Amino acid sequence: MTTNGEVWVWAEQRNGRLLGVSLELLGKGAELAQKLGVQLAAVLLGEKVEPLANELIAHGASKVYLLEDPNLKLFQSSLYTRLLTDMAQRHRPEIFIMGATTVGMDLAPSVAGRLKTGLTAHCVDLTIEQINNKPLMVAAIPGWGGKIMVKIACPDKRPQMATVKQGMMEKPKADAARKGQIIREKIDVRPEDMKARTIEMVEEKPVGVPLEEAETVVSVGWGIGSEQNIKLARELAAALRAAVGGTRPVVDKGWLPEEAMIGQSGKLVSPKIFISLGASGAMAYAVGFLKSKVVLAVDKNPSAPIFEMCDVGIVADLNKLLPVLVEEFKKVTAA
Amino acid sequence: MNIVVCVKQVPDPEQFSKITLDPVRGTIRREGIPSVMNPLDKHAIEEALIIREKFGGRVTALSMGPTQAKETLQEALAMGCDDAVLLCDRSLGGADSLATAYPLADAIRHICQFDVVVCGNDTVDGATAQVGPQLAEFLEIPHVTHVTGIEFTSERSWIVKRAIERGYMKVALELPALITVLKEVNQPRLPSVIDIMSAASKPINEWACTNLSLAAPIIGLGGSPTKVVGSFEQDIRRGKDILKGPEAEVVGKAIKRLKELGAL
Amino acid sequence: MDFNFTREQDMLRNMVRDFAQKELAPRIPEFDQTEGEWPYDVMKRMGQLGLTGLAIPKEFGGNGMGHVALMIAWEEIARVYATWASHLRGFVLPAYAISHFGPAWAQKEIVPRVCKGEIQGLMSLTEDTGGSDLANIRTTCVADGDHYIVNGRKIMQSRYSVSDFYTVIAKAGEKSFNYLLITKDMPGVQIGRRENYISCTTRTALVGEVIYDNVRVPKRNIIGEEGKGFKPVLTTVGAIGRLGGAGISLGIAESAFDLALKYAKNRKLYGKPIAELQAIRWLLVDMHTKVEAAKYFNYQPSWALDNGKKPHEIAGDLARAKLFANETALDVCLKSIEIHGGYGTTPEFGVIQKMKGALDQMTAAGSNQVMKRAMSEAIIGTSA
Repeated sequence: MTTNGEVWVWAEQRNGRLLGVSLELLGKGAELAQKLGVQLAAVLLGEKVEPLANELIAHGASKVYLLEDPNLKLFQSSLYTRLLTDMAQRHRPEIFIMGATTVGMDLAPSVAGRLKTGLTAHCVDLTIEQINNKPLMVAAIPGWGGKIMVKIACPDKRPQMATVKQGMMEKPKADAARKGQIIREKIDVRPEDMKARTIEMVEEKPVGVPLEEAETVVSVGWGIGSEQNIKLARELAAALRAAVGGTRPVVDKGWLPEEAMIGQSGKLVSPKIFISLGASGAMAYAVGFLKSKVVLAVDKNPSAPIFEMCDVGIVADLNKLLPVLVEEFKKVTAA
Repeated sequence: MNIVVCVKQVPDPEQFSKITLDPVRGTIRREGIPSVMNPLDKHAIEEALIIREKFGGRVTALSMGPTQAKETLQEALAMGCDDAVLLCDRSLGGADSLATAYPLADAIRHICQFDVVVCGNDTVDGATAQVGPQLAEFLEIPHVTHVTGIEFTSERSWIVKRAIERGYMKVALELPALITVLKEVNQPRLPSVIDIMSAASKPINEWACTNLSLAAPIIGLGGSPTKVVGSFEQDIRRGKDILKGPEAEVVGKAIKRLKELGAL
Repeated sequence: MDFNFTREQDMLRNMVRDFAQKELAPRIPEFDQTEGEWPYDVMKRMGQLGLTGLAIPKEFGGNGMGHVALMIAWEEIARVYATWASHLRGFVLPAYAISHFGPAWAQKEIVPRVCKGEIQGLMSLTEDTGGSDLANIRTTCVADGDHYIVNGRKIMQSRYSVSDFYTVIAKAGEKSFNYLLITKDMPGVQIGRRENYISCTTRTALVGEVIYDNVRVPKRNIIGEEGKGFKPVLTTVGAIGRLGGAGISLGIAESAFDLALKYAKNRKLYGKPIAELQAIRWLLVDMHTKVEAAKYFNYQPSWALDNGKKPHEIAGDLARAKLFANETALDVCLKSIEIHGGYGTTPEFGVIQKMKGALDQMTAAGSNQVMKRAMSEAIIGTSA
């Protein structure tokens, strides 16, 4: 099967705003495109979203396939799927990656299903490797327990597809001077596209900084011990303007909401500084923060695995240490 | 109305920590871990039963798996499904999501002239959430995922509430269609004693590949477009500057080190 | 020998476990309150799920799944909240008696409603003359035309103030006893004072006296044969009373063991979990062994009843089940308290509540000494 070789990134927008994960994927996409020696293109659907095309170019897309129509304003699963598969069949990209958002997790398998190609979900990394003398996209996904990573590829079918959660890749720097091509694609809407028709979208404003976008994260594990200590952890987070997350046991206890869970089956974070308080460092949790720049961990057990995964570790009883930690960090941020 | 609900038997998530990966063979070792119905599938069955209660009809539970998966189908029958089909064939094993959706779609077409297909949004093992939408593609029907509620405005067109990260969408859906549900959609019923006792008299049909059409070889390890090409151990170790001592002292040292690393 | 439960029995166990964990466990603080209405909705729910009808024939509104199934239900509910397991025994006792011994009208009108969880009866036997010495009761029933006049005071009556009917053993003559169905609306039925057994101080447990003051009971309300009231009583107490006690004690013992195991694995002393200390390991092993043995003593006679044996044929085994399960519960609860150290008697850790339940089960539906008497009869023969 011949391809035109492009690396495609689906640029998800909601209410005229590009989602962070799409920009992160442009960064990775650029890397993949460069290794293959092909172009990086973004695929953008929506209504009156042309300004976003420029933003995509500024973040590294050489091309933006722009599909605009009032019917595309909200995500329409049947219509989006048909338009994207038509485009893929006409342009024959080599690779097509999407953010693993609730929409991406719907759209990607639909497109892959219709094209009868391979799709790997929740990838932790994407690289190009020579396999049987072919340069293939290799997706790394956590194996059981998270310590072993499994490598998946799609050797024969095209495009090679993958979904990636926000926080796994780095967002590239924007360069307004970058130039790129905007290609306006023609849209047609058929009756069968409207059998699943999104009629309304209601979005709530996030409370505080969403975990996946936070530059600083304070995370609490079961060793936090009490709601009183969670309060202190929140004070620390407030002083550092950090987002608050936690482990599965803390969420199950009801001390934090489900959306705050960090780990393989929760959120993946990649902040500049990740502070883990009272989590022993189970693998499923570790996968959630392994992309952080700097990790500070506090736990009372000196042989806890978390101390293998941190840059700075403190062995201490949180009940005694936490108040001091909060105090000192407050002084640092006030300065 | 003809409703098909897809269910899967998975290792008990409460015991996941006991499952290991054989580093040599790259296969999963899960001996001794009890199997249960994928938790979201209970919600899928419940929704199928609610639909049957509203509009009449039959609910068939379908699973693709080894013979042991019959246990999960028995639970589905006990909850109230009318009959069940187990798709069991060695050549279906080792499938990725595409090669799972393809034979399932084939089976569904052989089961009935379906009106609704209900699935759990994802499974606790694998958790790709891909089979539902791909099944809809092979059946050539519209679908909605992440379903948290349905307004049955009429028999063949519904308003479906679909969760997004911080909010929801409402989708006008026309049957025949496929939905994948999240746990918020309903509270699964407990089977009564009579339900459990009558499950034994409801049929579980065992099918193999010979019962399907399988126009294309999208089955099993060979028919899966994605392949495992290797594995590696994630190196997540770091600087490991471990501090012990009086609180004020260690906090001071930690902050100093963080500044050195450029984090503060 | 096939030591496996049937697939249906396994599914039943899963259902009861789900019911107990999802619908009972979260409400324990509510059930433990001393004030408030008795939780009628739980009785209704048990009926709806079919638990009350497990050992009641289909023709009388039950599902006939059997004694093994009922044992499973007692065990799994008692693991979470013993009082509700005890009530499940209490609901079944009078319904079982009527199902097997009549009267026919009550089999049609009363038993189905009990199975549905709509009404509840109470097996009214014990008096201050001693529950172990039923032949010497003082409650009398004097014939008056086609009625009996019943006079007496029963004590230790579970759900005394919320029951809709009572199946009462009363003395008609020197060796003549009648087992009579009395409904709460009959004039002369009085709710007496409350009795506070150690695990029965909650709004859910409700134990106390019922007084029958010149209650006119029509002869059509006789359960079993006139003058031969002990037959239905002993059969029912054997099959349901003793096995129920066995099931409740087993559930108590199992949950006390689970708590101890969990605690031992998490509690650190001398730098390591106490589960690594030999003294604790051996305690846990002893507790486990007794619990597993109790399972066999409980399920084997239950299976026998499901497979053609009559209660009087296996009276010794039924008694042994109750005796051994309760002795196990007392022993396991005490050891569990020991393993928990000082925390063992605080309510937060849940063990002391188990101990209280085990203490009350010592004498409920037949004391452990009466069980030994029954076993002696069965193994050795009648004593002079």
